[in-house]
Amino acid sequence: MSDYHFEEEDFQGTKVKSSTLLRILSQVRPYKWRVVAFVLSIASVSVLESTLTWLTMQIIDRGIVPGDRQALTELLTVYGAIYFVFAALVFAFIWFAGILGERVRYDMRKKLFDHLQTLSFNYFDKTPVGWVMSRVNSDTERISELVTWGIIDVTWSIVNITAATIWMLTINWQLALIVFVSIPVLIVIASWFQKRIIVEYREARKTNSKITGAYNENIQGVRVVKALGREAANLGEFSHLTDEMYRRSFRAAWLSALFMPVVQIISSIALGAIVWYGGLQAQVGGITIGGIQAFVGYVTFMLWPIQELARVYASMQQAVASAERVFSLMDEQPQIKDHVGAKDPGTLRGDIVFEDVKFHYEADKPVLRGIDVTIKAGETIALVGPTGAGKSTIVNLICRFYEPSSGRILINGTDYTQMTLHGIQSRIGMVLQTPHLFSGTIRENIRYGRLNATDDEVVAAATLAGAHDFIATLDKGYEEPVGEGGVLLSVGQKQLISLARAVLAEPEIFIMDEATSSVDTLTEALIQRGMEQLMAGRTSFVIAHRLSTIRRADRILVIDNGQITEQGSHAELLRQRGHYYRLYTQQFRSEREQAFELELEPMVS
Amino acid sequence: MAVTSISVPNIPQADFKARVSQNRLLGLVRMLGGYGKTYLAANITLALGALAKTATFLLLQYFVDNVLTMPDFGRVLPMIALGFVALALVEGGFTAWSGRLASYTAEGVVQKLRNYLYDHIQRLTFTYHDRMRTGELIQRVSSDVDAIRAFFNEQAIGLGRIALLFFINFAALLWISPQLALISIICVPIVAVVSVFFFGKLEKAYEHFQEQDAVVSATLNENLTGVRVVKAFARQEYESNKFDKENWEHFQRGRKLLIMHAVYWPLTDLICGIQVVGGFFVAAIMIINGELSLGSFLAYANILGWMIQPIRNLGRIIVQVSTAMVSYQRVTEIINEDREPLTAARIHPKGAAKGEVVFEDMSFEYTKDEPVLKNVSFRVAPGTSVALMGGTGSGKTSLVSLLPRFYEYTSGRILLDGVDIKDLPREYLREQIGVVEQEPFLFSRTIRENITYGVKRQVSDDEVHAAAQAASIHETIMGFPDGYNTLVGERGVTLSGGQKQRVAIARILLKNPRILILDDSTSSVDMETESEIREALANLMADRTTFIIAHRVQSLMDADQILVFSQGEIVQRGTHDELLEEDGTYRQIYDLQARIEDELEKELSGV
Repeated sequence: MSDYHFEEEDFQGTKVKSSTLLRILSQVRPYKWRVVAFVLSIASVSVLESTLTWLTMQIIDRGIVPGDRQALTELLTVYGAIYFVFAALVFAFIWFAGILGERVRYDMRKKLFDHLQTLSFNYFDKTPVGWVMSRVNSDTERISELVTWGIIDVTWSIVNITAATIWMLTINWQLALIVFVSIPVLIVIASWFQKRIIVEYREARKTNSKITGAYNENIQGVRVVKALGREAANLGEFSHLTDEMYRRSFRAAWLSALFMPVVQIISSIALGAIVWYGGLQAQVGGITIGGIQAFVGYVTFMLWPIQELARVYASMQQAVASAERVFSLMDEQPQIKDHVGAKDPGTLRGDIVFEDVKFHYEADKPVLRGIDVTIKAGETIALVGPTGAGKSTIVNLICRFYEPSSGRILINGTDYTQMTLHGIQSRIGMVLQTPHLFSGTIRENIRYGRLNATDDEVVAAATLAGAHDFIATLDKGYEEPVGEGGVLLSVGQKQLISLARAVLAEPEIFIMDEATSSVDTLTEALIQRGMEQLMAGRTSFVIAHRLSTIRRADRILVIDNGQITEQGSHAELLRQRGHYYRLYTQQFRSEREQAFELELEPMVS
Repeated sequence: MAVTSISVPNIPQADFKARVSQNRLLGLVRMLGGYGKTYLAANITLALGALAKTATFLLLQYFVDNVLTMPDFGRVLPMIALGFVALALVEGGFTAWSGRLASYTAEGVVQKLRNYLYDHIQRLTFTYHDRMRTGELIQRVSSDVDAIRAFFNEQAIGLGRIALLFFINFAALLWISPQLALISIICVPIVAVVSVFFFGKLEKAYEHFQEQDAVVSATLNENLTGVRVVKAFARQEYESNKFDKENWEHFQRGRKLLIMHAVYWPLTDLICGIQVVGGFFVAAIMIINGELSLGSFLAYANILGWMIQPIRNLGRIIVQVSTAMVSYQRVTEIINEDREPLTAARIHPKGAAKGEVVFEDMSFEYTKDEPVLKNVSFRVAPGTSVALMGGTGSGKTSLVSLLPRFYEYTSGRILLDGVDIKDLPREYLREQIGVVEQEPFLFSRTIRENITYGVKRQVSDDEVHAAAQAASIHETIMGFPDGYNTLVGERGVTLSGGQKQRVAIARILLKNPRILILDDSTSSVDMETESEIREALANLMADRTTFIIAHRVQSLMDADQILVFSQGEIVQRGTHDELLEEDGTYRQIYDLQARIEDELEKELSGV
């Protein structure tokens, strides 16, 4: 199971940098007219809302109090008309901003995905898949929310407070002053609360992911738990987690429940002052009844824009932290890329020469300590040696997934760093130890090798690779879905399909990492035959585990500790009675034992 | 010894099984248990808060109608102003307190539910765990439990809020003017119906959107995990197009959702707006005709919005309640499963077992009429070893799973020290038996915690080290930077198959059981570590009744008796020497070794 803590990135201490904010805003630059449209509509909505309160005052003072039916009808007609405009504007801002938000998210995901395709292996070595997933999934969402709903909330709040202020000033400036004094107090309290609430919820989520992790482990290990009688102790440990979860989420919920009432109570003091002072004013004709109603309306409503401002402000830190992570991914430079003046080689057929090739991932831990070897065109090379000796690194270098730390690799006499990456990689076929299939049908997976292949060519490739027979027995044949990552197929079947995929690609260099796990005898034979088909007439490299493969190779390179310690044909190496001899006899024994067991199986079981 | 969950102090627990109900809504309510009163209090305080709010507007009415007209109202004025502040305090206080009580209830119920489910799941049978996928269970104990939490914390109280606000405000309007009140609720059923309809639709569109979200995620995930294939075939552009297609579809579905929102909110704004204008008009005419006071109008204008606005969210809450009901159903399915009793038994033996195991004509089937083991009879004397040999599916692994009563045998008898194991508590059996699995499961804890995992007492470092030494893993552990405190798993060291196996052996050594089950413990290990494990196993087996499952002759030739299984039956039995005399599977396998050496010799002389 993946690490549950990936989602919770720390953003505390993130400074809201203006350069990051500008870069976030630049995400909507292509859509600036949409932004203008939704900002204008939400601003108008906001102005209309405060106008309606003012209009109510007019209805009272000019219509109701004097009993002027005509003025009343006129004013209410305007009031109703404003509602229609208002509804239209609400539609407009949701439409413009909402769709823009989705669009920005689409754009960012696309940019990130395309950029990820260019990055080199070293990036994927050091970056967990879960981390990248979170950037593309959740961070883009936070950013797009900030540039749409964030802008909307801020615009709405500021315009609302400003418009209400202007209306209040026109009605009665002394009363308006009372309200002004309360605004900064409210903002400070609101943002204090919002920050605390965000922190508490984050802590609760962290605890929650620990709880999920605990569930996960206990379910996966339930057989051990039962066998060792750990139930009571486990529950005791788990209850510490739920205790913590209880405390955290209760605190968070209590803070949230407290927030609005506190703000409301404070604003009610302003309301009380208005009633008191307004009442005195009313007596001397300083304010009308409608005016008092308007003030009550403005003051009770003002809570909402203030709350929104505080919320956006508090969540901005989080969105900026998201943005910084997304931008760091966008700015990541591929380590291996085409050099200036790199050319497509046209073909990779020809000798491959390793000239004192050294390689390391970390400077003090050499993986290859100087490989010197010439491989003739069409030769089949078996790489053997213990785990971690450097066999995979050698094939990764041939594919130019990595480049030598020092030394050169020449293909057909040219240093391969002078060639384009696409020129090299499109001419190499590869079959991995644990074959990776993409969800989709079998046909789609084979066609991955050559996208414009016809159905007949797909079948031909599958036949050549020995995959056709088993595919034909499936219900939907080539249209059978393989499941996510190929889960619906056995390892052997996946390998046959990936062989067919490589056959279809008609590569000039073929690379295979043999599976160590045993597959049934029939499939094994099919795989062997498929490999032979692929190796015929091509320069091939096999990280070999099976004796039959090793014996068939033109040359065997024994790799140990980053160096070639022995090389030659099977017979030559056996006669040397060295490292190869030991590896071979050991493998011989276990392979025969296994074969015998498989032979025995039908009889015994 | 007999530690049960009930005797562990201070763990908030409740018996949720007793509260299950057929009716899902009733079942949710019954989950409250002792929190019922608190939750009721949450609703009452909410109502008091709402009352105070409505009273504020009525105070405004009194202020305009009665106070402003008083000749000496300057004296009363501060009282009125204070009245507004006081009402705000009452409203705020009650509302906050209501929120506190609601989350106290929700978090409390859910904490107990989490504890209950955790304990429940670890006490369900092997059969259940064989059937359920981990991901599915996790989904239920996390997302579904969270939906139940939200039901108490947000939805139930939210529904209460909408209803209370409606009734209290409607009552206030009736008090102001019955005629006006009735006119003002014309839009309520319309808004309610539109809301329920809209959120029902929205829910479907949202699910559709979420599905695509999962597709986009899966596409990305496949691309990242398959980066070798993508690069090896230079398919970057193809992958980009594939992702773009799904990403675009995601955009389209998101767009559809937004169009729905963009229609719903202004539409209900408009309905409410028309209601307000109409209400104002009628009210204004009534004032002009002298049927209504000015203060009443002000109260009316303020109360109206307060009553109508929340109804727009009615549909949202109803949809969420239906999701919570589905979640309840899914959680209840787990709760309804029966636990396997750990302590219940007819006989409760004192002290450790001697270790004599007898199978008497025993048969076993997982599913009816598909016997896995047929009429198996054999006896293992205390402290001796028995080796089980046979191909995959011959029933040997099933046989050893019956001893700790992981599964129940179907007929015949299995006796431990002369007592049928069905009469013995599972807890006792599992204390007497130690299992070293083929692929041992270690927990993401420190190595020390993994070794002491099976002992219910404080263990000294010396004991742990002695166990690790006997399991030939001490040196390896000391080689890690944090020694015994090194974390196992993703956030610590990754142990090889052989290392895991030896940690598992140390774990069992410390547990010190009378009976030992070794499941093919050397099959997945390379040559060098195999000899180390063999040594560790020899230490482990001394003086214990041991069941060994193995493929290789070397692993079992020293056993006191060897049973060869085929299709659930014993086909050969005896000691190594006896079986070599017989013509059968055992000798064939034994002869293999010699044959391989011959073949190798031939091969080598050929070059």
